[in-house]
Amino acid sequence: MQRRSALQRLIRGAALLAAASLPYGMARLTTPEARAQIRSPGRNNERNHIRPPGALKDDAAFVAACIGCGLCGEVCPPRCIRFHDRDGGGKANTPYINPEEKGCTLCNKCMVACPTEALVETPLNEIDMGIAQIDRAACYPWVDRGICGACVSVCPLGERAIGFEMWNQYRPVIKDGCVGCGLCVEVCPEPSLPIWIVDRAQGTVVKHKV
Amino acid sequence: MGTPKPFFLWRHLNKLRWLSLSIVFAMLVALPFMHVYQTFTAAHAYDLLAPSEKQLYDVMETLTAVFTEDPAEDLDAIKGNTWSGSFFGLQLSDPLAVAGQMAAGLKVYAPFLLTALIPVLFTLLLGRFFCGWICPATLLYELNTNVSTWLSRLGFKVGNRHFDRRLKYAVLGVGLLLSAATGSVLMAAIYPPAIVGRELYYAFALGGFGAGTLFFVGTLLFDTLVARRGFCRYVCPGGALYSLLGRYRLVRIRRIAESCNDCAKCNAVCEFGLDPLRDHFGQECNNCTACIAVCPTQAMTFVLRPTDIPEQGPGHLGKQYLRAHSEKGSIDAAP
Repeated sequence: MQRRSALQRLIRGAALLAAASLPYGMARLTTPEARAQIRSPGRNNERNHIRPPGALKDDAAFVAACIGCGLCGEVCPPRCIRFHDRDGGGKANTPYINPEEKGCTLCNKCMVACPTEALVETPLNEIDMGIAQIDRAACYPWVDRGICGACVSVCPLGERAIGFEMWNQYRPVIKDGCVGCGLCVEVCPEPSLPIWIVDRAQGTVVKHKV
Repeated sequence: MGTPKPFFLWRHLNKLRWLSLSIVFAMLVALPFMHVYQTFTAAHAYDLLAPSEKQLYDVMETLTAVFTEDPAEDLDAIKGNTWSGSFFGLQLSDPLAVAGQMAAGLKVYAPFLLTALIPVLFTLLLGRFFCGWICPATLLYELNTNVSTWLSRLGFKVGNRHFDRRLKYAVLGVGLLLSAATGSVLMAAIYPPAIVGRELYYAFALGGFGAGTLFFVGTLLFDTLVARRGFCRYVCPGGALYSLLGRYRLVRIRRIAESCNDCAKCNAVCEFGLDPLRDHFGQECNNCTACIAVCPTQAMTFVLRPTDIPEQGPGHLGKQYLRAHSEKGSIDAAP
């Protein structure tokens, strides 16, 4: 008799837990990204997305710290900060910058606005959103298809982040001072985008296998 | 002499509450447009705007010119939403956001913890007042209740099921556990005020509703078809947290049994399905004052005490009835 009541209590507790986790499951299912994952698992359409300046380098720590309030986006003057608004799971509603659409102007406002430690106020030269990488097999001056220099002229950091190669003064070269703001990606006129933002460890030059 | 009367303005607090809800919601609608306008002014490129953007620019310029000369800077004074926002330099956050973030990161970040201090203090004093007075989703849910009432008058079958109220505390607990397990603030995805705040921003400033809108429409349907105001009553994790914090709130509503005529309008109007007629307010009353406004005999008032007053029995008509009934043993003898 006693065992039966214990069993009943267990079942009731399990039912309560199941009912209580139902809304979280529903919220997960309402995201188109989650439904797409169910249809074709492992698909990842995330390309060239970087976190806003001052974001914690460890992305898991960033996702844990971000509450998805959207303040960083609401203070962003160029409106470059977008949100994973249709993605489910952990990164839902976290901010990103897609430099193909709009690069970051390094104005500091998002770091000041963030109420949590997700975006930490960082001095300009310590910001690390990544580093620009140039595909020398596609960039116009590098394949001798003309002179361009759009990326060099738009760079907010100038000399210490980007410059021209010594022996051919039309070919852009990324330097270590680059913080990965992505303005060069935004202005690059080549349709295939031979410049993009990568993790700093990957270096500034695409290494093609011949 | 005689029965105590409530202060005459308290009947009108419900209108003030609707005003407050409307202002919060209107701000959440206006802020994205203000931000878009700010981005236009920051870019100094009026001539490059599309015609519709120029229209928006002109309208916003007309509206804000009275307050500011430099919109790109000055309109930063009010930013964000009720989940977390800054108000003239004062950063305020929802206690649920702080709880969820602490659970997700398994650590305490003091500056963020402090942003919830003022809401928590007000909740300790006023109980679940956020749910009735500020929450942008409450406006939509209460309008939805009205629509449901009209629908039921037209003959549609509107759901009025009842579940166990303790479910929402389980939702809160499960949410905290899941947040700790997955390392992200999962409550943000199911908490209606957070959803409404950011979806309005996504829709008006970033050009499209996100996935949260679908979930929110789902909760509206749940309220209409399954249980009246069901999400707030049975599911909302933020409501659960506010209820727990406001358990021993100081400001609460009480019934004046001497004036009460047992008409039960208060029970009918109560959005949270509480039982003011039998003095059962409990920790879930959000001091919305709808029962004060609806009471025909002015038998509802505020009281300052940390617990509900114990059950007072029926009101004056019921007492007369009981007295007559017990003395003469006949219903006809009741005056």
